[in-house]
This record gives sequence, C-alpha cells and structure tokens, in this order.
Amino acid sequence: MKQILLFIFWLCVAMVAIALTIVLGERGAWYFAWVVGTVMIVLIAAAGTAIIDARYEEEHD
Amino acid sequence: MDIYILLKVTWWVLLGVLLIGLAVMVGMDMGVGAALRYFGRTDGERRAVINMIAPHWDGNQVWFILGGGAVFAAWPTIYATAFSGLYVVMLVLLWSMIVRPLGFEYRGKMTSDRWRGAWDWMLFVSGAVPMIVFGAAIGNMLEGVPFHFTWNMVSYYTGSFISLFNPFAVLCGVMSLALALYQGSAMVMNRGTGVIRERAIRLLTLSGLVALALFTICGVWVAMMHGYEITAGGDPAGPALPLNKVVETSAGAWLNNFIAHPLLWLVPALVYLAVLAGIASARAGRSLFAWWAGALAWACTIITVGIAMFPFMMPSSSEPSQSLTVWDASSSQGTLAWMLAFTLVFVPIICIYTSWAFWVMRGKVTPESIAHDEHAY
Amino acid sequence: MQELDTVIALSRTQFAATALYHYLFVPLTLGLSVLLATMETIYVVTGRDIYRRMTHFWAKLFAINFALGVATGLTMEFEFGTNWSTYSHFVGDIFGAPLAIEGLMAFFLESTFVGLMLFGWGKLSRGKHLLVTYMVALGSNLSALWILVANGYMQKPIGSSFNPDTMRMELTSFTDLIFSPEAQAKFVHTSIAGYLTAALFVLGISAFYMLRGRHLELAKRSFRVAALFGLFASVGVISLGDALGFINGSAQPTKLAAMEGLWETAEAPAGFNLIAWPNQDEQRNDFELQVPYLLTPLVTHGFEESIPGVKDLVADAETKIRNGIPALTALRTLRENPDDAQALEQFEAHQDNLGYALLVQRYAEDVSQATDAQIARAAADTIPPVATVFWSFRVMVGTAFLMMAFLIVSVIYSLRDTLLEKRWLLRVAPWMIPVPFIANEAGWIVAELGRQPWTVYGQLPTWLSASTHSVEYMIFSLTGFVLLYTLFIIIEMFLMVKFIRLGPSEPAKAPVADSGPHRHSSQWSEI
Repeated sequence: MKQILLFIFWLCVAMVAIALTIVLGERGAWYFAWVVGTVMIVLIAAAGTAIIDARYEEEHD
Repeated sequence: MDIYILLKVTWWVLLGVLLIGLAVMVGMDMGVGAALRYFGRTDGERRAVINMIAPHWDGNQVWFILGGGAVFAAWPTIYATAFSGLYVVMLVLLWSMIVRPLGFEYRGKMTSDRWRGAWDWMLFVSGAVPMIVFGAAIGNMLEGVPFHFTWNMVSYYTGSFISLFNPFAVLCGVMSLALALYQGSAMVMNRGTGVIRERAIRLLTLSGLVALALFTICGVWVAMMHGYEITAGGDPAGPALPLNKVVETSAGAWLNNFIAHPLLWLVPALVYLAVLAGIASARAGRSLFAWWAGALAWACTIITVGIAMFPFMMPSSSEPSQSLTVWDASSSQGTLAWMLAFTLVFVPIICIYTSWAFWVMRGKVTPESIAHDEHAY
Repeated sequence: MQELDTVIALSRTQFAATALYHYLFVPLTLGLSVLLATMETIYVVTGRDIYRRMTHFWAKLFAINFALGVATGLTMEFEFGTNWSTYSHFVGDIFGAPLAIEGLMAFFLESTFVGLMLFGWGKLSRGKHLLVTYMVALGSNLSALWILVANGYMQKPIGSSFNPDTMRMELTSFTDLIFSPEAQAKFVHTSIAGYLTAALFVLGISAFYMLRGRHLELAKRSFRVAALFGLFASVGVISLGDALGFINGSAQPTKLAAMEGLWETAEAPAGFNLIAWPNQDEQRNDFELQVPYLLTPLVTHGFEESIPGVKDLVADAETKIRNGIPALTALRTLRENPDDAQALEQFEAHQDNLGYALLVQRYAEDVSQATDAQIARAAADTIPPVATVFWSFRVMVGTAFLMMAFLIVSVIYSLRDTLLEKRWLLRVAPWMIPVPFIANEAGWIVAELGRQPWTVYGQLPTWLSASTHSVEYMIFSLTGFVLLYTLFIIIEMFLMVKFIRLGPSEPAKAPVADSGPHRHSSQWSEI
C-alpha cells in the first residue's frame, strides 16, 4: 500500500514537473534556459573538479 | 457582497496579520538586541544570548521587508504617502535597522573588547530605536498626519518631522519597546540557562507591567482624542481614489466601532489577560507559554488599533476628506486577487519551513556550547 | 522650478548611489550561493573532507558579503516610497506585486535557510544540509527574478493600462507581466553575471593561495570548480547580453541609439562604432572608429532593417508629445467632471501618448498652451546622456570578453594541472576580482541611465516621479547614506581581507592554543 502511495506521489510530482516545463518552455523560454543552464553549469563544474581526486587515485594505484 | 469589497477587507486583515508577525518576530529579536547588555554581563554570556537568535533573526527580519512589499502591492497609496510623509522618521528607522545585520554578523569576527563593545551598543540602538519608531508610527496614524494631494495625486506632507515625535506618539513608541522587551525576554528565558534565564524572567515581568500601564494611558488618550468619521461618499466598492468623500473629526470618534459592537471590548481586555498570564507563567518557569501569551498581547494590541480606526488607515489631519481608508487606498481588484493567491500558496509553505528551522536549531544555548563553533557569532 | 530640479537631481543621486552600492554585494551573493551548492554537492557525492572544508571557508566569506547585501537591500525596499512617492502611486498597482512576491517566495526562503546553512552543520545530515544550501541558492536567485520582473516593467511596461478613475496604471494581465521578454532576458543575464562574479572572486583568492604556496590542495580544487563554473557563465552572460540588446531594439530605441552612438538612422548594412566621442549638443560624434557592416546583424539579427538614430527619434517624440497633449487636458477635465463623455472619448483616443504630454508639463504647467520651443525641448529630453551610456556599454562588453578570455586560459591550465608553473596567471587572477564588479555597475548604468528621462518607459517621466521633499531633507538623507555606507564598506573590506589572509582551516596541524579558525578543525569529522 505504502509503495503504491509513494508511486502515485512521485507520479504526481513528475506530472507537475512536466506541466511546468511545458508552460515555461512555451511562455518563458529564457526562464527555462536558466533552469537548464544552471543545472548544467553546476554539474559540469562539480564533475570537472571531482576528476582531480580520481586522477590522483589512479596515479597512486 | 461585491468581490472587490471582500478583497479590500481581506487585505486589511492580512495587513494586520503582517504587522502582528512583524511585531512579534522582529520585535523579539529587537528586544534581545536592546537588552543584550542587561542579559549578558560578560562577553561569553552576550555571545550566548546573540546565538540564541542567530540562526533566526534574518528569517524573522523578512517580516519587516515583506511588510514594506505587501503595503506597496496591496496599499500603494499608503506606501507612497506614509513613507514619503514620515521621511525623516523612516530614515531613522532604516539607518538603525541596517546596522543590525552587521552587528550580528561582524561582532564575533574580532576578539577585541572595544570592537565587541561597539557592536553591543549598535545592537542596542538597532533594537530600541526601530521599535520606538514602529510604535510612534502607529500613534501618528491614530492622530492623523498632515498631508494632501493635488488633482493628479502628487502628495504633499506639510508637517515638521519633530511633530511626529509628539507625546502621544512617543508613549506608543515606548509601549512597543516594552512589548518587544517582553517578547525578547521570553525567548532568552526559553533558550538560556542559569543567571541569564533569571535576568530574563525579571525583565519580562517589568516590561510586561510597563506595557500594560502604557496601554492603559494610551487607551484613555485615544478615547478622548479627535477621531475621524466618513460623513458622505466613501463607497466601499468605489475606485481607489481618496478624493471623493467628506470626513469630519470629533472627540471620541475612535470609540464608535466599539460602541456599535460592544463584544469588541474583549480584544483590549485580552491584552491585559495575556500579559498577566504571561508574567505568571514565566515566574512559574513556563517560557513557551509566556512567549505565546506575549504574541497574543501584541496581536490584540494591533487589532485594537485596527478596530478603533476602521475603515481609516491613514487619516489626514490637514485635509481630513483626503484621508486614506480601506475603501480608497488599495490596489485594483486584479492585483489584490493575484496577491491573495500567492499569499494563500506561500504563507503555509513559509510556516512549514520556518517551524522546521526552529525545530532543527532547538535546545539550550550556553557560553560553553558556542565556544566550539566556527560559524557562531 | 529651480528647487524641483535640485530635489529631482538629489533624489536620483541618492537612488543611484544606494542601488549601485547594494549591487556591489548582490551579484556575489547570487553566484556564490550556487557555487557553494556546487562545492557541497561534490562533498556529498565523493564524501571527501577537503570539499567540506572548502564549503566552510567560502561560506564564511559568503556570510560577510551577505550581511551587507541584506542591510542595503532594506533601503531599496523602502526607497520607492520614501523618495519616489508619485512613482509608487502611479505604478504601485503593478510594481508592488513582484516586490511583495519577492518577499513571500524568495526572501523568506533565502533568509530562513541561510541561518540553517551557517549554523546547522552539526545538526543536519549531509543530504539535508545540501538541500538547505540549494534552498539558499534558489532563494537568492528567485529574489533576483522578481526584482527584475519589476524592473522589466519599468523598461517595457506591458500588461497594464492607465485608469482615469484612479489616476494610475493598473494591472491588466499578470502573466504578461511575469513572462515579459525584457524581464526574462534581464533575469538570466543578471543571475549569470552573478555566477561570473563569484567565479572570479573564488578564482582570484585561490590563485593568491597558490602563489603563496598555502592551502594548495584546497586552492587547486577551488580554482578548478570556479574556472569551469565561470567559463560557462561568461558564455551565458554574453549571449544573454546580446538577446537583451535585441529586445531593447524594439522596446527602447532611444537606449539603443545611445548605446551605439547613432545620431543618424543607420541604413543596412551599418557600421559598428568601436570607439566614438559622442557630442550631445551638436548631435554628432566628434570622432568615430567603425567596424563596417557589423552593426546591422549585431542588433537586428538580420541584414535588412535600419536602426533609428537620435535625430529621427527626437522628431518622433515631438509627434508623440503633440498627440499626447489632448489626453492630458481631457484627463484634467475628467477629474473635475468624471461623467464628461466627450472628455473621456478624447482621453481614450490619445491615451497611448499620455506619458509624452507629461514630459512637456515640466516646462508648461498648462500643456495646452505649450509653445513649439517647449515641445522641442521636451522632445530633446527623450534622449538619454549618450556619451555615458555609450561608454558604460563598451566597458561592460569589453570586460565581459576579457573575463571570458581569461577563464578559457584558466580552464586549460587547470585541466592540464600546470597552474603552479604559470605564475603569471596566478599573479593576474587576484587583479581580475574587481573586473566583474566594474562590469556589473556599468551594466546597471546602461540599463537605468539609458532608460532616462523615464522611470516607466514612455509612461511616467522621472521629473514627475519623486517625492515632494525639500532640498534640506534630501541633503540630510544623502549625507546620512554616504557616511553610513562608507563606514560599512571599510568594515566589510577589512573583515574580508582579514579572513582571506587567515585562509581555510587545515586538518591535522591544528594546535589548540592557536587563534582564529584553525582552532576547531576536527569537530565536523563526525557529520
């Protein structure tokens, strides 16, 4: 039962997210670009930095 | 009932809620700041007191900022007229308030006694002055402020700034400071221990009693002063233009609403009840109850003023017919409706995460507990 | 009239001074909050302690900057009412809404969670603390969103119309207001400019440590994350700047003409003024260095359209003033007799140009009696100070490309891990810290000075917007702000420099007696 409720909850979250994306993409193209752009910048900067440690480990192995 | 009237009244109520939130939450932090040198005699004690509100003062202060924004959005004519009319007073309020974030944030960054002593006094000023100005502003609204409009709604203020600090307004200001000290003491009592806690109980008792005495004096004064009354025009559903009505003043007119609805006398009565119950419970060691009692006292004080003045919001003493009322100083129907929608969605969310923040940071703060925290003030 | 001019000038000076000052702290808050969230993300994902110390250190500098941003922001929230009361009444129905929503949606979020971010380390799980940091970043950027929706309305008033019954602009479409292209592009441009500011701040300080050989591991990682973060931000900021210029072309042709130093209408394909000395009195450039053919595609994103110059825009304004005068006279009649159907008809026919009639009211109290000379003077007023706007724009664009170039080099050497050998780069980096601040301020000047003589473009002139204070009041308040703000910046810089010199806490070598942030470096290890 709990699983089903949880599933429904996340389904609703996903639907809202999709709806928001559609509205934003349609009416607020730049706002949408900001959301996507910020997420991308954060992920690339984070991944690009974490590589430093991965490389060090390789060298030490 | 016309939906525009309903929206205007709703926003009048919401303005009251905002003022109460501001008075209780910001007032609490200001009370702590104003009495900092009393609560704490040593630097360790003072740091403990500051860190009781450290995680929350910034969030609480948003009540003040939101107050400005909400008045702008829902009551633009009042925002424009009041803030420019009370110019020097607003500047004093602003300047004393903008020192406060720095006082909290920068005080602990250096260890020198002179540095910290200077910021202690800054916190005193930025706690006491804004609360006095807040009370004095409400006092001035009750008395009326000398302003008028030209045909194209350019407002002119014709009084001097000294007249804004008349005896009645100053009494209201001191009462507001007393309630702030009460609220701050309740907070310090709740999160403090030992001697700090005892001092808080003492200050809470004293400031509570002072507040009641001043509430009584101001109440009698209001009953005798010239109140305002709409005698012609002033259609509740009319457009938001404060130039189409006739207003007259007469002694005792501020009691009209109470006389028409005697049940309303319960509201000022509750102020007495709340403060006395608060003091009693504080002395019995129940700080949380004392805090909520103080909040109730603040709420009922502000509601009392609201009832006395309704439907007036900012009466003009020099041109009474151009006074600003609930019916003619608001935004358009569309703006009020949109703002209401945002309020209904976001205020519950704000309440949830603010409560969560208080819950996470709950617990006693002592000089020892903060000595090992890099981020503590 | 003389006194009014002085009060307006002082009110404008005060607003510009307090806004420019506030805007020294805001971009760093916008960007550093996101950058902190990025750093903490790495900590939570990799679990390496160095990223926790990194987040801690930058959070401390964030807090010093944040306090002044909050303090000076209080002024801004109230200054519209205290100093621009006619403006506040005229557009409060529209302009107030985003400001209130900013409080509801952004300030509460930001301010409540910033307390938890700084004080909640020991009390929250890693994941929850990360969420809190993201909320701070979201809150600060949402506040930028709403204030720029409000500003976007001043730049291009849409979703509203003038209501003669209430003598003010009233909201007609809320969705038009928040989805205004001007507001959208402004928000993204400003927010990302904040990212860039924070990136160069972190980069410069990290380079300072590497140059001194201090905190090498932490500095190297901070440098990497900031360089990558900043590089993408610089690309974003430039492309959004271009979009904003494109939108401006249609929304505010006078600003565009000033930005490009165009006196004559530029037929396609027009040359781009790389350098020029604009001379406003004679309406020409005393000197210009042009790049041929560049302007038309740059501004119009095409090859055919012409770009109106100052002279044609002044002529256009004169027509609009003459067209607007009947609206203002009808409005006055309507105030005396709201049921005058003929006056209402006249008002409705001319109301689009009501704002232009208000421009001439400065010189002729009764606009129906305005002379040709007065109208010509009001029309000439519609052009902002060309030289200042022109050069501020070039400073902004020039510094933006400089930062992008610097970041490309930084990213390359950081990825190759040869930073420590490139001493020159490390030496230049600290000097790059002020550059984005200069660009931010220059951008503010282009946007807001370029909007003159209007507070709300085409609707409400600046001269009519201010509160009716005396000169003495204005001198008093301006002096007060200057003294207080000067004191603040001295204290802020002092603390900033002190904590930058102290540097982040290092693990393992922390003697107990040592003062400063070294003291308790081990206490978070259990989180």
